Amino acid sequence: MRATRLGAVLAAALTATLTIGGCGSSEPTGGSEAAATSPAAPQGPVKLTYWTWAPNMDKIVAVWNKDHPDIQITVSKQAGGDDAAAKFLTAAKAGNPPDLVQAEYQHLPSFIAADAVADLKAETAAIKGEFGEGIWGLVTLGTEAVYAVPQDSGPMMLFYRQDLFDKHGLQVPKTWQEYGEAARTLRKKDPKAYLGTFSSKDPGAFTGLAQQAGAQWWSISGESWKVNVADEPTKKVADFWGGLVKEGAIDDTPFFTPEWNKALNDGKLLTWPSAVWAPGVLSSNAPKAKGKWAVAPLPQWNAGENFSGFWGGSSVAVSAKTPNKAAAAQFATWINTDPKALDLLVKEAAIYPAAAKAQAALGAAPDYFANQPDFWQQAATVSAGARGFTFGPNVGVTYNAFKDGFDKALQDGTSFSDAVQAMHEATVADMRKSGFTLAS
Amino acid sequence: MAAIAPQRRSTRSGIGLAPTALLLLGALYCLFPVSWLLIASSKSPGELFTTPTLAFGTGFLSNVTDLFAYRDGVFWLWMGNTLLYAGGGALLSTAVSAISGYALAKYRFPGRKLIFNLLIGGILVPAVVLAIPQYLLFSKIGLADTYWAVLLPQILHPYSVYLARIYATAAIPDSLLEAGRIDGASEGRLLGRLALPLMVPGLVTIFLFQFVAIWNNFLLPFIMLGDDGKFPLTVGLYTLLAAGANQPSLYNLILTGTLLSIIPLIALFLTMQRYWKTDLSSGAVK
Amino acid sequence: MTPTSKRRTPLAPYVILTPAIVLFVLFLALPIGYTVYLAMRRTQVSGLGLGAGARREVFVGFDNFAAALADGELWAGWLRVLGYGALVLVVMLGLALLFALLLDSARVRLSRFSRISIFLPYAVPGVAASLMWGFLYLPSLSPIRAILDVDLLGASTITYSMANVAVWGGTGFNMLVLYTTLRAIPRDYYEAARLDGASELQIALRVKIPILAPAIILTTVFSIIATIQVFTEPTTLRPFTNTISSTWSPLMKVYRDAFVTGDLYSAAATSIVIAAISLVLSFGFLRVVRDRAFGEG
Repeated sequence: MRATRLGAVLAAALTATLTIGGCGSSEPTGGSEAAATSPAAPQGPVKLTYWTWAPNMDKIVAVWNKDHPDIQITVSKQAGGDDAAAKFLTAAKAGNPPDLVQAEYQHLPSFIAADAVADLKAETAAIKGEFGEGIWGLVTLGTEAVYAVPQDSGPMMLFYRQDLFDKHGLQVPKTWQEYGEAARTLRKKDPKAYLGTFSSKDPGAFTGLAQQAGAQWWSISGESWKVNVADEPTKKVADFWGGLVKEGAIDDTPFFTPEWNKALNDGKLLTWPSAVWAPGVLSSNAPKAKGKWAVAPLPQWNAGENFSGFWGGSSVAVSAKTPNKAAAAQFATWINTDPKALDLLVKEAAIYPAAAKAQAALGAAPDYFANQPDFWQQAATVSAGARGFTFGPNVGVTYNAFKDGFDKALQDGTSFSDAVQAMHEATVADMRKSGFTLAS
Repeated sequence: MAAIAPQRRSTRSGIGLAPTALLLLGALYCLFPVSWLLIASSKSPGELFTTPTLAFGTGFLSNVTDLFAYRDGVFWLWMGNTLLYAGGGALLSTAVSAISGYALAKYRFPGRKLIFNLLIGGILVPAVVLAIPQYLLFSKIGLADTYWAVLLPQILHPYSVYLARIYATAAIPDSLLEAGRIDGASEGRLLGRLALPLMVPGLVTIFLFQFVAIWNNFLLPFIMLGDDGKFPLTVGLYTLLAAGANQPSLYNLILTGTLLSIIPLIALFLTMQRYWKTDLSSGAVK
Repeated sequence: MTPTSKRRTPLAPYVILTPAIVLFVLFLALPIGYTVYLAMRRTQVSGLGLGAGARREVFVGFDNFAAALADGELWAGWLRVLGYGALVLVVMLGLALLFALLLDSARVRLSRFSRISIFLPYAVPGVAASLMWGFLYLPSLSPIRAILDVDLLGASTITYSMANVAVWGGTGFNMLVLYTTLRAIPRDYYEAARLDGASELQIALRVKIPILAPAIILTTVFSIIATIQVFTEPTTLRPFTNTISSTWSPLMKVYRDAFVTGDLYSAAATSIVIAAISLVLSFGFLRVVRDRAFGEG
């Protein structure tokens, strides 16, 4: 009797509040909040907030604030990753987003789709030439608009333990075929060590490797999206790694886990196909291996080629709701193209700037790679060979399907290309459900 | 009561070995992972993944100094914010729970069951679900990204209301209230002078629960706050963990920070626990 | 026992309850109402879905609920949580009751040490607790593995490993609820039994447990609800193992929809389904044990 009573009460309460919530919530997209946050008149300095998670960004902004008394920026350091994107989207929906936000390339399309970031085409016309075509495509999605200013990029390279390669008499693999053979050889020479590992938790890394092979998961043609997550290059990459894992030639410990850290420290993991920011991770997780790692271009699919992909990297976007778009765009441009700012980005934030002229700021090799003085030159060469890619408006769905699909494939020992197929189907189903126009 | 005391002492003469051992076993089980945290926070970044799991490291002091120096001591700001959220929130929450529990336990009035069931029903909706609507709501009234946005939603806590009702039922004899009323005391006076003091031990428990719950809450402040100067410890430490794809997690600072953030809770527990010793007024209920 | 004030002061209880009711309406009822509203809507994109005006919210009635109910993954999640929940409830509440009775008995040494030690895990945030246990479970780092040669994060053991984290974190809290209730009972209430020569065990079984019954039912109901809402442990352990999917528990699916794949509307619908099932289960339980939880009324 009580159960029914409470149930009835709850139902009554829910329906009662439904009407209140219903009429109250039709407005959150309205601009009243944005207007309220702007000062009454444009007297005094323009005050902007900036959400970022790059280290020491407050120090770089302090330099800007000193030089630009009329545009004062406040840094609010956030947690990075997927949660940061969700938080920004929620703030934008509620009408009080920050003026400036760090946007990872893969999340930028969902920001655009939610109409949360402003088009900076006019404000960035002058700096377009500072960035490579591949990077620029990431902030335009191949459209006429410009949705952010690129900040850093993560061209992928092969990091390997030079000392252990020498010890086992391994050659640095030039092709993925050679990589596979080296993996088998190593297993025979040291059954406790692996040449590499496949991570089912890092869709970004897999996407980068697929880019290298020439994958194009999303593209815009006219007024419709073309989606092909399970294209030939992607399946090739998946089957390659799936085969190595299945025969036990490489490990399946995910990156960045304590287990992985331990394997790095114990010298049980000899290579890491990673991006230009890897020195920071390695020096923090395996400080004792300093000077033992070296870098080479990624192995290629065909001998003689010179391709790479991007893993990570982000841009600075301006909120669509900001009342001070011009000032915000001015800052976004400055921090990513001004020589002084680029120098600070390298030294304070320890990132690899996307702007081409940042090469000047990249002096000596990272401390951890002191044995390889041409580290940055290598990075520049690799970066030039990185293939362009367009992220779609629902990367979250695709990446989530990657984790679930590859977890399951590893768990059940099923084929990796089936997992890729599942990623494709999840992506398409989600886009169909939302009503995107898809080219068949 | 006093007359019974001697007998009680006599039964205590035999110390139960088995019960004591069982409790100690439970204590060990509970302390084991915490001791791991203590050990892990003593390790420098280089030692964390290289030395045996249960071996102390050499980096505790440098971890603590690094943590305190991180971004000009922002750790202390987070700690202060957390104290404000947890202390203020728990006080308000305990007050609201206490009076609500008292009213629900000691009055008969139309709508009593309905109000009680509604208040308790709130627990059915997961906090994960409520966070976003709450945020949209606070944005609407212009209170998002303020201290209020974290304080206010955590005041009403169904479990605490329920507990307060149970404690009020058990601790406050109706005869006492009746006597008060006959003496002409107002209802407010009965509540403040008579009922609340009797409920203190139970309220201490509620305060402790709420303090810990708010201290450890992550999702609500994560969604509500944009300004990192208002972050509580949980959200602050999370910025160290999720430092971005190309930045390493600052494991040693996180572990040390987590350890340090537990210490105030232990101190609170130790100061609060003397309130449980006093037996509630005897000859009261039933 | 029955309150005798009744009709004399009809206004006082309403005045006293006003703060709670206001807070309820503002911070629970309104957000819940908004959740229901969201659950009946969906984003409708046109064309490329880029730029202003390309997406709008449309009313879809009960479509999202139908999708949630038809989702096989969600029901598989319910099954997993059911197994996990049964384990957690029995072990955690059993231990909590045992420890509370032991602490309350007069014959225990070092009770203050034990009490704070067992309560200590409650002070550890769920994420930190799961991380700590995660480290202790990992094959290459685990000191447990040195004694026990099983993969604690494997497909067959993961439920137990997760239940352990929940038991570890929740026992102290429930113990304290029960213990505080025991302390609130006047001592003379069972001194009589003691005078009659009953042993501590007999007193515990025949006197204390019956008195505790409402509190035990209370902790059970709240534990059932908390277990249904299990989220932190699997989410935190997920990076350590490939046996936990993003929809392992129903609430993980809600979180995934709301925060990872950006479908707030499905998340809202699923969460209402979760709340409804919580309601059915907890009241089903109360039906079984009758009206003791609402005790004195």
